[in-house]
Amino acid sequence: MNLLELENVHKKFGDFTAVSDISFSIEKGSVYGLLGPNGAGKTTTLRMIMDIIAPDAGSITFSGGQHIRDFLDQIGYLPEERGLYRKMKVRDVILFIAELKGLYKQQALGEIEHWLEKMQLSEWGNKRIDELSKGMAQKIQFITTVIHKPELIILDEPFSGLDPINMTLLKDLMLELRDSGSTIIFSTHVMGQVEKLCDRICLIHRGEVLLEGELRAVKRAFGKNSVEIEYNGSLEPIRNSDRIQGFNDFGQYAEVKLRTPEDYRQLLQELVEKGIDVTRFELVEPTLHEIFVQSVEAHGGTVGDAE
Amino acid sequence: MLSKVVTVIKREYMTRVKSKGFIASLFLMPVLMCGLVLLSSFLAIMEHGTEEMRKLAVVDETGEIFTQMQTVIAGHRTFQHKGELVYQLHEESAATEEARATLRERVNTKDFYAYLEIPKDVFANGEVRFYARTATNFEMQNALRRIISDIVRDKRFAESGYSQREVSQLMRSVRFNAYAVKSSKGKDGGAKIENPLETGARLGLAYLLVFVLYMFVIIYANSIMRSVLEEKTTRIVEVIVSSVKPHQLLLGKLIGVCSVCLTMFAVWVIFGVLLIMNIEPLLRIFGIDSLPVQLLGVIETVKVSSAEVLTYFFIYFIIGFFMYSTLYAIVGAICNSEEEAQQTAVPLTMLLVIPFILMFQLFRVPDSTLSVLLSHIPFFSPILMFMRINVLMPPLWEILMNILLMCATVLLVTLISGKIYRIGILMYGKRPTLRQLWQWARY
Repeated sequence: MNLLELENVHKKFGDFTAVSDISFSIEKGSVYGLLGPNGAGKTTTLRMIMDIIAPDAGSITFSGGQHIRDFLDQIGYLPEERGLYRKMKVRDVILFIAELKGLYKQQALGEIEHWLEKMQLSEWGNKRIDELSKGMAQKIQFITTVIHKPELIILDEPFSGLDPINMTLLKDLMLELRDSGSTIIFSTHVMGQVEKLCDRICLIHRGEVLLEGELRAVKRAFGKNSVEIEYNGSLEPIRNSDRIQGFNDFGQYAEVKLRTPEDYRQLLQELVEKGIDVTRFELVEPTLHEIFVQSVEAHGGTVGDAE
Repeated sequence: MLSKVVTVIKREYMTRVKSKGFIASLFLMPVLMCGLVLLSSFLAIMEHGTEEMRKLAVVDETGEIFTQMQTVIAGHRTFQHKGELVYQLHEESAATEEARATLRERVNTKDFYAYLEIPKDVFANGEVRFYARTATNFEMQNALRRIISDIVRDKRFAESGYSQREVSQLMRSVRFNAYAVKSSKGKDGGAKIENPLETGARLGLAYLLVFVLYMFVIIYANSIMRSVLEEKTTRIVEVIVSSVKPHQLLLGKLIGVCSVCLTMFAVWVIFGVLLIMNIEPLLRIFGIDSLPVQLLGVIETVKVSSAEVLTYFFIYFIIGFFMYSTLYAIVGAICNSEEEAQQTAVPLTMLLVIPFILMFQLFRVPDSTLSVLLSHIPFFSPILMFMRINVLMPPLWEILMNILLMCATVLLVTLISGKIYRIGILMYGKRPTLRQLWQWARY
């Protein structure tokens, strides 16, 4: 069953088209990634889903045709820009939002302790929000988003501003929530870090869907035309090879994109012939970033003007 | 949904009541008020003089007034400090212009506090001149004017053949007191009257309450504005309106903050009632056994009239609070920073300051057509109508009509601003123009 469905959603701000003809649906119990550079229309899409702004055309329905007003209590929403009542104590803020979401006080208090412990913030519970670090406040805000066990969790750029440790923590939490039955849609502009998290993705650019589908299918469709090479010395001799379409050199490690997937044999041969000391040579799936760049180019644009 | 409004009310109420600011003003405000009263009466005492001796130079061309002045001043309160004479009269002669200039210079160098010039023809029509570094010491000037006038008048009477005794007998001024005629019936069947002291006590209370009303509406309406702005700038409002409807959020805020004010008033009223009811035993602790009759009258008046005055106060405060706070909430909703909001709120503050200034005029002519009209302008009513009720009670139908008019205004303002609020809190970027606001209101 689809928990959320968007059909031909349009949104214009004056003359500027923010979102143009977006359609997708999210299956219950899955993680959906809304990916694209800054200004692609991700936040606008999420705000329309939240009914904060109204779409000019198209429909957004929940849990098999329901309007958002009948479904609001089942949603947890983390806005893009973070903020909580700065002068309030951590526990009071969470309790306030939990009660707004319809939790009873006793029930909420238990949940608060559970989550604070999980986030390793128990001893911060009586501190005021403005005494916390940015990362901690962000974790508190995540708690307020999920404390009422919502069916649908909407996260707008949940990873921005987090250090690698907290990013991993958050990723694990999202998977845990999915496994316990929640459905998650999140947006991000940093594609590399979180792509493996998504069951399905939607790549958007300038308000238009470039690509939508199951992550594995999307990757398979693009084929294994990338090679990762670990080496000693220099790759300079093969840099201008005809077989190479893109080249990203990190000094002892390089990601190379081939013109055609079959060329990898010739490339390996060339490396050996040029006497380069290769310690690893692996054919890999393209990264989401590569897929994105290719899709943008296929639509006749450049990535540069989006970012 | 109602429980969610309660959640909002609870948060607005608790965060404010638990704040240090609330507890501080709960105790400090009465202290400050009493302090102000005490300070002003203390300043009034200070006026009379200083610890140090002050010298007053007198140039008496008549040659007879100075000695009499000295006797009078020795027993005059204005020239004493804690029962001791602190002014010294010095007779100086100033026949020439130079001598006068020297005297003026000595005033300037603070050798003399002031210098007084009594011309020869003062008995006919001459002008007494008073020179001091500050010409605003009206109490001193009045005292001197009266003393010299008395001496001059006595002399005139003496020349006409009246004795001192006869003069003081004949020159007694009449006793004059103002009594307010009330609309309620007295024991004799006619309209009831109120003595001046009672009127003073009642008006004093009313003044205090108008001031409190004005101050609290400004302070707490601003507080609402800031809280709307905080929710908007931190985007927490996006999370909240995914659970409560915007107008419910606004209503919760208004009720929550209004309750904060009412809590503070309630504490003060209860405290005040306890104080007034037990004033005599309380004073006995401090060793004061009996109070002057006048003071007892004042206390009696406060006891009798405060119930009515306070009832009107609460009615006008609550309506005024909702009227203004809704508007301030709008300002918070359409602005993006504290500075911007402060500027945008200036016209609203004017709307509250204007009646406060007008009040002092209205005080003198409470039943002129202009006063009546002004007091029925809904945004002015909380101050002007409340003042009119205290000065000269309008007929009941007029009060009821006024309350109805204000309620209608509150309803209208809430309806319009609810819509603007709903859009404003979720919009970012440039502040909307008046035309856009109008469009939002009709949306």
